[in-house]
Amino acid sequence: MQVERLDFVAVPSRDAAALRAFYMDVLGLRPDDNANFEVWIGDTCLGIWEPERVGLEFEPQRNGPLALRVSDVAEARAELEGKGVEFLGETLDTGVCHMAVFRDPDGNDLILHRRYKPYE
Amino acid sequence: MITVERVDFISVPTRDTGQARRFYGGLLGLPESTTPEDVYAEFETSNVTLGTWEPERDGLPFAPTAGIALRVPDVEAARRELEAAGVQFRGETMDTGVCHMAFCADFDGNGVILHRRYAEPRPDGMGHTESREREDARREAS
Repeated sequence: MQVERLDFVAVPSRDAAALRAFYMDVLGLRPDDNANFEVWIGDTCLGIWEPERVGLEFEPQRNGPLALRVSDVAEARAELEGKGVEFLGETLDTGVCHMAVFRDPDGNDLILHRRYKPYE
Repeated sequence: MITVERVDFISVPTRDTGQARRFYGGLLGLPESTTPEDVYAEFETSNVTLGTWEPERDGLPFAPTAGIALRVPDVEAARRELEAAGVQFRGETMDTGVCHMAFCADFDGNGVILHRRYAEPRPDGMGHTESREREDARREAS
């Protein structure tokens, strides 16, 4: 069994166009050159899909699947809160990094993340 | 506008870190960068770290996630190997016209997609799903 890399992370939505707009306009993510509902963060692709269009139940992603690296968690949080983005609880200091959990418009959890302890 | 530099890790919730180790380390063969004593585990794909954790240890309800697509050389061969190890798949392997996808779950019920794009790479080297226009056209035609 050989896994070569992570190709994409599927992100469920009830309104793919609105979610795509959030990822591009609020989080500043890069749209794919070809596919309408794929956006990029560095070399990781997020594929937005609508489960209900293929007869599956929509379930937002909880338990914070994606940790997004920003230069300063407090600053990025303040900016997103200013745009009405909902955060869950206080920013967490794990001893090696800061994490703040927020929700996209479909209720999927995302994490603002910055490790401040140098990698060993 | 904030700048998101990259995805640092993807959280994979589990009820039992040992069980997650058996799937991601044992069956998928991903190298682990944590040690067996750790109560969480990190597995490395070549571009993103998968970090398992136990939400219930933090007083949060466990909720499985869906849809981490992992690139394998041959979806059918990988599927057979996992099925022989008792991994459950949902439905047949899908041919989207550009890639093969097979949907399974880890031992906690988190969705994992075995994925291989066979169509010519696009100029940016990526792009995995159909555009909405093509998807709509295909749906109408069928």
